[in-house]
Amino acid sequence: MSKRSKTVKITMDNKVLQVKRKLTILQAAECNGIYIPTLCAHEALTPFGGCRMCIVEVEGMRGFPTACTTPVEEGMVIRTHTAQVQNERREILQLILSEHTSSCLICGQKDECREYMGTIRKAGVITGCRYCPNDGQCELQDVVEYLGLKEIDYPIYYRQLRVEKEDPFYDRDYNLCILCGRCIRMCQEIRMADVLAFKQRGRQTVIGPAYNRTHWQAGCEFCGACVSVCPTGALSEKARKWEGKAEREEVTTCSLCGVGCQVRLLIKGEKVIGSLPAEDPLVNDGQLCVKGRFCVTELVNNHRRLRKPYRTQNGAELQISWEQAIELAAKKLSDCPAERFGLLVSPNCTNEDLYVAQKFARVVMGSVNIDTTARKFYGPGFNAYLNLMRMSVPLADLSKASLILCVGLDTRFGRSVVGVQLRKAIGRGAKVITINPRNNNLTMIAEKWLQPAPDEMVHLLRSLVKLTEKKGRRTMMSASRRKRGDLADELSQVAEMLGEACSPVILVGSEFLQRRESPQILEAIGKLARNTCAGVLPLPAQSNLYGSVLMGAYPELLPGGFSSTDKGRADDLSERWSADIPTFPSRRSAEALLWGRKLKVLYLIGVVPPNREPHSDFTIFQNIYPSGSPGQADLVLPAAAFTETDGTSINGEGRIQRVRKAVHPPGEALPDWEILCRIARKLGKKGFDFGNVRQIHKEISRFVAGFGNFAKPRRKASPLLIEGELRVVRRKSAGKKRADKKPPFMMNVSTVEHIYRGFPLTDWVEGARMLFAEETVDVSPEDAKKLGISTGDEVVVSWEHFQKSLLARIVSGQQRGMLYATLRNGEFIEPNPHPVIMRKKDV
Amino acid sequence: MNSLQKAKQEARRKWDLLKNSKIPIIYMGTATCGRAAGALEVLESVKKILREKRLKAKIVQVGCIGPCYLEPLMDITMPGRPRISYANVNSEKAKKIIESLLIKNDPQTKLAVGHFGDESDEFTNGIPRFFDLPMLKPQERVVLRNCGFIDPQQIDHYLANDGYLGIINAFHKGWQKVICEVQEAGLRGRGGAGFPTFKKWQICRSSPGKTKYLICNADEGDPGAFMNRSLLEGDPHSVLEGMLIAAYAIGASQGYIYIRAEYPLAIARLKRAISQMREYGLLGKNIQKSGFDFDIVIKEGAGAFVCGEETALISSIEGKRGMPKSRPPFPAVAGLHGKPTIINNVETLGTLPNILRNGATWYKQFGTQGNHGTKTFSLVGKIRRSGLIEVPLGMTLRQIIFDIGGGTRKPFKAVQTGGPSGGCLSEEFLDTPVNYESLTAAGSIMGSGGLIVMDEDTCVVDVAHYFLDFTQQESCGKCSPCRVGTRHLVEILERITKGQGRPEDLSKLQTLGETIKRGSLCGLGQTAPNPVLTTLRYFRPEYLLHIKEKYCPAAVCRELVEYRVVPGKCTGCQRCVSVCPTGAITGPRAEPHNLDPTKCIKCRACYEICRFDAIAGDAIVIRSRREVADEQTQ
Repeated sequence: MSKRSKTVKITMDNKVLQVKRKLTILQAAECNGIYIPTLCAHEALTPFGGCRMCIVEVEGMRGFPTACTTPVEEGMVIRTHTAQVQNERREILQLILSEHTSSCLICGQKDECREYMGTIRKAGVITGCRYCPNDGQCELQDVVEYLGLKEIDYPIYYRQLRVEKEDPFYDRDYNLCILCGRCIRMCQEIRMADVLAFKQRGRQTVIGPAYNRTHWQAGCEFCGACVSVCPTGALSEKARKWEGKAEREEVTTCSLCGVGCQVRLLIKGEKVIGSLPAEDPLVNDGQLCVKGRFCVTELVNNHRRLRKPYRTQNGAELQISWEQAIELAAKKLSDCPAERFGLLVSPNCTNEDLYVAQKFARVVMGSVNIDTTARKFYGPGFNAYLNLMRMSVPLADLSKASLILCVGLDTRFGRSVVGVQLRKAIGRGAKVITINPRNNNLTMIAEKWLQPAPDEMVHLLRSLVKLTEKKGRRTMMSASRRKRGDLADELSQVAEMLGEACSPVILVGSEFLQRRESPQILEAIGKLARNTCAGVLPLPAQSNLYGSVLMGAYPELLPGGFSSTDKGRADDLSERWSADIPTFPSRRSAEALLWGRKLKVLYLIGVVPPNREPHSDFTIFQNIYPSGSPGQADLVLPAAAFTETDGTSINGEGRIQRVRKAVHPPGEALPDWEILCRIARKLGKKGFDFGNVRQIHKEISRFVAGFGNFAKPRRKASPLLIEGELRVVRRKSAGKKRADKKPPFMMNVSTVEHIYRGFPLTDWVEGARMLFAEETVDVSPEDAKKLGISTGDEVVVSWEHFQKSLLARIVSGQQRGMLYATLRNGEFIEPNPHPVIMRKKDV
Repeated sequence: MNSLQKAKQEARRKWDLLKNSKIPIIYMGTATCGRAAGALEVLESVKKILREKRLKAKIVQVGCIGPCYLEPLMDITMPGRPRISYANVNSEKAKKIIESLLIKNDPQTKLAVGHFGDESDEFTNGIPRFFDLPMLKPQERVVLRNCGFIDPQQIDHYLANDGYLGIINAFHKGWQKVICEVQEAGLRGRGGAGFPTFKKWQICRSSPGKTKYLICNADEGDPGAFMNRSLLEGDPHSVLEGMLIAAYAIGASQGYIYIRAEYPLAIARLKRAISQMREYGLLGKNIQKSGFDFDIVIKEGAGAFVCGEETALISSIEGKRGMPKSRPPFPAVAGLHGKPTIINNVETLGTLPNILRNGATWYKQFGTQGNHGTKTFSLVGKIRRSGLIEVPLGMTLRQIIFDIGGGTRKPFKAVQTGGPSGGCLSEEFLDTPVNYESLTAAGSIMGSGGLIVMDEDTCVVDVAHYFLDFTQQESCGKCSPCRVGTRHLVEILERITKGQGRPEDLSKLQTLGETIKRGSLCGLGQTAPNPVLTTLRYFRPEYLLHIKEKYCPAAVCRELVEYRVVPGKCTGCQRCVSVCPTGAITGPRAEPHNLDPTKCIKCRACYEICRFDAIAGDAIVIRSRREVADEQTQ
């Protein structure tokens, strides 16, 4: 048999071309710079052949085959725009346009219209070319231009469909839809979310979730992938609708969680008007979650951004200049003794900001009181969490794994990029097991859903650890068989699956992190991974948790992750910085140093203090938005958001990635490092003469391996390799308090995790409020029925000395008697879970 | 001797016992068509009569024998006598027949329509041979040979009539020779396109891959077509045997029957037949020790017309929305689950056992060069003798419509072949031989076999509108020419039937129709404009009358006609008064009635009842607006 060559020779428009064998005619044409108009074809999606715009003539083939679906064959003779083909296209395009309300595409008054309708508007108008939000970026428009269509011979049908505006972030006007099916293929093939589908037949054909469910009910992740591929204005971003075309783009790293997706920011003038996924094969592979896709622009563009520094005096805000602000800060700081100074920094900051911040605390203030808010988030489990990060594997390992175990993971809104990878893995034949007391989008697709009660999670994981210990599988199995009960049986099955799996991966979510047993759970996960040779990938909620550890933004750690009790390292550092480094009092816990102590000056960088306790005599508040409660901050300094600053950030896998400045910060706002350096210089300290981020990065590279190439950082995943350890206070196990009678409800509290620089996204992004749980409590349907509660009702949850009213959400598949509350400020009750009483709030 | 042969012997013994029964046998046609005409009620009353009169008789429920206009049909065989058929039986008639035949041994010659003996004897004197009836005589029953004769629920009946002989022959020949035999027989796909069956099989056979699928397309969605249903209800085993043969030829180990859920009886019969096949070792692993594995799954379709299209059908079986895909790749190369798949129509499969049993040469005796064999048609519309027929290919439309169908009551106007995808042919095509090529040349298609006959009471614009409205609603919505284009066609046609047509409409219909034909993705769209294009071609004057003169010659288009009472003819019987829903007709008994045109909603109820009632005659007439205007000016 002769070997088939990899290329074929075809003739296209009288040109002889050598093209790859497996290409379609359309792809071959694109490769060779021949334009064939298309509406339904998209390079990421399978061919559809619905719009019929790409019809061509092929010698020897009947009729007009579509270029997007017909594969090239040896000796094919193709003509892409003969008069007949063009005519046919025009006819068909007329048909498409007769179903599309924007007939002004071919309106004779088009040019005049542009001229007179070019006003700024926030809402659609019903006449003129500005009816459609996509004007100027519409593929249909391009095709109309190309074919030179001037009029339509047919009456225009208006489908009279209601414009769907009820969901956050994007609107759907299916009157503009040409049914190209791109959104559906995106949803089904790439995202594998299967939310969208064609409904009805013939002229009634529309797109939407089947069975008339809402997008929310159908499990929509609001990732916006469908919006990105829509060739018309049928799907349009609420925030970007009337912004028009972008002028330039910048690729950066999203800082809204630890996945570290690469996003393409669309910029017009000095405004980020949109964010789209970058085609980056390493992390997000052309996908984003709702946060990266929609929240970024709303977050950085809110009109309440801080623009100028101000101080508060007697409750009044007094705008001051930067010089005055720096002077004030310097004065207060110079008066402050080292041990009564505290610097809290957000793990959303870049490495460079974090590095300068810790250097500021250590060199300028001579203080060890530097910490991040991650310590509060992870609590006693912080060190255990970092220990898992020491074992982490890259996300790409999911493509090799035959089994993926998810612990406490939800991928619907946050981390939905990981959810896509999971579904892809399932499509490939891998199995997914999820361990979660709560019902979420993974439980449906998982092979097995282990649903322990929240306080049984440790027990369950420990049993798994025991079952997977290397004693020979047979004895292990027989031992487990002897145990009675479904769960035990399930467990042994899972243990068996783990034992047989090929390169399994354990994904660690964050749903259990605030529970009392979180350190034990994290430790058990580590043991389980060692027993089964599984890779672990913790998915932190903070965008630069890894970096904060590596930069030494903790009292116990020095840059490079060395222990601050390491005398040699400390001496080395003080030599290089030519300054004295304070030593960390080895016996004390870091928590005691900073948290819950009255300080003289508290410097908050990207941190919003909880409402209750006053922390210090003087608080410097450096952030992108004003603090929620005025009066807490004495000096407010406007900072730059991640779209406005340069730097690097390290994602959960340990990839060093660039954060790129897309636009200037609003008003007089400055990047964090620059403010810190200015204050340091004011205080006459050396070592803060950085002119740009590159210089900071260069200095970091002297302490931290892997740093150095700022322009093109080494984006290689690596486990957290540090010597130092964090010291955490283990809360004493309260012991099982025997309650007099069984409490009616067990309440599990977790803190809001969609946070940027201390602010829950819901504060500044309107759409997020509709999606993310906040101040809510999830109730099982049975309990809800008993108490007469329905979703959206206010309920009062109370325990010994505390009472709180929350919004109820009814979640199917949840265990009876369990409540899951998501609270803003993490007012944790100890122990968590805690027995509570719940009642419907009296109206 | 293997088990099947034993079973066959046993079956033959039982069959002989039935044939030489000592007690009378009553055959009832209880397929869906018979049931619709009331066969089950008749069956109940027959049972009641037998009980009451303490008569001994065996009742056999059979499938449809063809002449629908005679339903319900009840046949009786007296011991030693030929089977006699009685038509349009109701309970009283059945009682009369049974009483006279079973008790008095009087065949009631007046009521009988035909007998199945070789020639008339003194018993059947005065009764014609059933197969000499004008409707039956020109037919050749190959696929339908068992329909109406065997009990479809009994595999033994099928076995006794040379059932499953074809597959045994196939096993002996080997798959290569099976394909050769089918090639030799010149069998072409009976689903409509007429693609040579063997060629499709060869492509599938030579496609790489171990897993291959065979699908029986029983998604008969054409309005007015019921060939496949009748065959599946009357002789399911012949189709199943055909599936075995096809699967063996292409090397498929899994078969699907995609059948519409609207055919519950056919599904029930198939299910029963499949379980019988399993019992007899005709399905499963190593069938009849041939080393060939095969199993069949029934997949019920939800009734989308487009799911009859191969790729849409495959999507539907895969659990997806029934939407066609572009070809290539053809299903024979990459079909169900991406594996090579053959989709054959029910009738194609039903033909296979006959070819394998009797040989290609025998099969070639039917039909003409290039169009061998027979084809079933459902002959419906304004025709005297409607029903399911099977004729050799090459027979002219005239023979089918006038000889078999008995012609129309009013002058013949047109015939629509191939259902909604086909074309409307005028009188000049009556002498066209029915084969794939000639019908295509005339702008129509063979289709799956619907023949809708129209007389001069039919308005072709209305017919085109009807079919286009159907395809427009059934378009899957995927490709724009079909989805939007048919919608525009419908609206233009609607305009014309309402008397709002414009002169440029005809050229627009033409260009739009051609665009849809050329530009659509699948067969549905590519053939959807056929009714419009053919009527435009052959009945252009009628369109022009509608547009220019606002005149509907057939008096069908509601907006263009008025209802009137002819005073000289009206006897004042008041039947029309009783059916008029709006009270538009008034008048005392025995005096000519008055029809108020302002109240009339043109529902046609009075017209129909006036026709039906022979006393009154045609007192109510539908006149075109133009005629009314002419009268008034005079």
